[in-house]
Amino acid sequence: MEEDVTHESPDRGPAHRILSVLGLLAVLAGAVLGGNPFGIREWVFGSAVPPPRPPAVGREAAAGVDDDATVLRSQPWWQTVARLRGTGQMVTQAFTIGGDALQWRVRTSCTDGDIAVEVSTEAEPLVAAPCPSTPDGYSSETGSLSLRVAAKGPWRLHIEQQIDVPLEEPPLPAMTASDTREIAAGSLYRIERPTFGRVRLYRLAGGNYALRLSDFYVSPNVDLELRFSSLQAPRSTQAFEGASSVFVAPLDITAGSLNFKIPPGVVPTEYRSLVIWCPPLNLAYAGARLEFRA
Amino acid sequence: MVRGRSTELREDAGSSPVVTTDLPQRRQLVVGSRSIPVIFPNRRDPRLKLAAVITALQVLGQAALGFRVSIAQILVCLGTCALVDAAVMLRREGVLVWPASALLTGNSVAFILRTSGTEHGDWWSLNGIQYFILACLLSLLSKYLIRPGGKHIFNPSNIGLVWVLLIVGPTKVFPQYLWWGPNGAPVIAALAVILVGAVWILRSVGMVRMALSFMVPFALLLGIFAASGRSFFAIWHDGPVEGAEYWFNIVTSPEVLIFVFFMMSDPQTAPKDRRGRMVYGAATAVVAAGLIYFQPTEFGIKVAILASLTAVCGVVPFIEKVARPGDARGSVPSPGRAEPVSRRLTDSVRHPAVAAAAVIAVAAPVDAAALSNEKQIVLIERGLTGEANPQ
Repeated sequence: MEEDVTHESPDRGPAHRILSVLGLLAVLAGAVLGGNPFGIREWVFGSAVPPPRPPAVGREAAAGVDDDATVLRSQPWWQTVARLRGTGQMVTQAFTIGGDALQWRVRTSCTDGDIAVEVSTEAEPLVAAPCPSTPDGYSSETGSLSLRVAAKGPWRLHIEQQIDVPLEEPPLPAMTASDTREIAAGSLYRIERPTFGRVRLYRLAGGNYALRLSDFYVSPNVDLELRFSSLQAPRSTQAFEGASSVFVAPLDITAGSLNFKIPPGVVPTEYRSLVIWCPPLNLAYAGARLEFRA
Repeated sequence: MVRGRSTELREDAGSSPVVTTDLPQRRQLVVGSRSIPVIFPNRRDPRLKLAAVITALQVLGQAALGFRVSIAQILVCLGTCALVDAAVMLRREGVLVWPASALLTGNSVAFILRTSGTEHGDWWSLNGIQYFILACLLSLLSKYLIRPGGKHIFNPSNIGLVWVLLIVGPTKVFPQYLWWGPNGAPVIAALAVILVGAVWILRSVGMVRMALSFMVPFALLLGIFAASGRSFFAIWHDGPVEGAEYWFNIVTSPEVLIFVFFMMSDPQTAPKDRRGRMVYGAATAVVAAGLIYFQPTEFGIKVAILASLTAVCGVVPFIEKVARPGDARGSVPSPGRAEPVSRRLTDSVRHPAVAAAAVIAVAAPVDAAALSNEKQIVLIERGLTGEANPQ
């Protein structure tokens, strides 16, 4: 309802004609851009979706990657690239940091004197500290790298890369053993954040329990954790906080298929749902009602 | 001379229509040696009623409905439209006219458009302000530049919103959600404002039948879609919205009601006669439903609804011709209309305004339909793009 008076501009000179044609071209350009041919809109204004990448298939980089690329991303997590050991001064064997890694770190352990760790491509040492307590060293170099280590005695290095692709772990061997029983299952639903996926709870042959999340996603954040709740299907953070719950495992990866061992002393059958809890925000992100088999 | 703003067409019983000069008192603004007449709207102007309704909804949105639009964004929209409109009128007419229409345009843009990253309660955020300004400018440009036949044919805020949503896209902008929240007091209050406002305004502009002619076929078609298993993803919903929820969330959405009652009902861009308005309402419903059918996302559905009006506004002259009673169509031969249709069409297309109108009327629904193939929107609506989800 935006009525107004109508008037035609009396100007019909060459400038008017040129402007008219330019205006028409702008309309045509808008019409083409609005149709987003060949993803031109994303090229101009950016995309909310990252390029597809193959998920990891293990917490060790050596396990390789999955064949099916995905646009889903996890909370960045640390994947082991190499574990190295040596004594005194030496150059380590080469290891490869993936091109998609956000960064990588080296964690050192040593017993005597000082240790210094340098990467060949950087002037500053990654680590230079007295043993035995040493800080981690961080770098964003990628590709095939080796480290120069200077130490008095024996040392160990644990090299990890931070990536954000999902982890597609195969089920634990114990989950598929003949004496193992799937005792409960459920589907994840949103409480405060988007999610999807299946939850399966196993009683392993030795009497312990394990949990598997498959085809799983939850909105990424740091320090998420899995908790069992006594509620059947909590629908709000307030409801979850009003009932008893128990810590199951940290959730450092937020997409893919993941296995968790239930801590000794936690009896899943005493609970009725699984909740993804975010302690920094005090928010129940997602829940899954556990349907126990008779 | 300003015509049409401060005059009112009144149909007196037993007499022919007369134009009454219900002019408000004119005031003058003196700038140096120049005296500029200032014209305020008539207090019976239906645009003021609409402004009151939309403002009430904006207040509810800010106070209780969690609208993710800031007061600063609303003010910039109002200011942009008012300034441009006042400047155009001053240049063309030499008068300062209260920009009632432009303020409505700005209000509508701010009411529907959302920019990624704006949080509710961040009252003075200017986040994504360029997209609000762009929508406002496109709205007014369409009003003043695309005027085949000497009058604008597209609803200004509708075309500004459609163009920005399609061109800029879902990574930066999105329309207000169909779902305004759980059925508590705030939503009930908003629905009450909308329905009371609809009765108040639609009756005064003769658009009640138009609204019904949209709502009835739209509800029926959406019911068929829901029964046939159509669904859509929305960021506010866990999993696909389907079945009765599909129908309920679209057909009874406050967004859709506002679209029908307060956007489609613009007398300047709707057909003038009653039959034409009914055809216009029904045609918009059918086009909207046709575009919605393929949409797997709330974003696509909302753009489809808005684009349906753009498309139908483009053919309002034809609707007026088709819907005119038979005797009126054939009894008055108009001089100069004896040329073949193909010739008239060719002449029209040569005119840039006609060509632009044609491009827009075709591109809006075609581009809206193309949204159904964009996987990115599905990921955004499912909330799978991480913490920085645009919506």
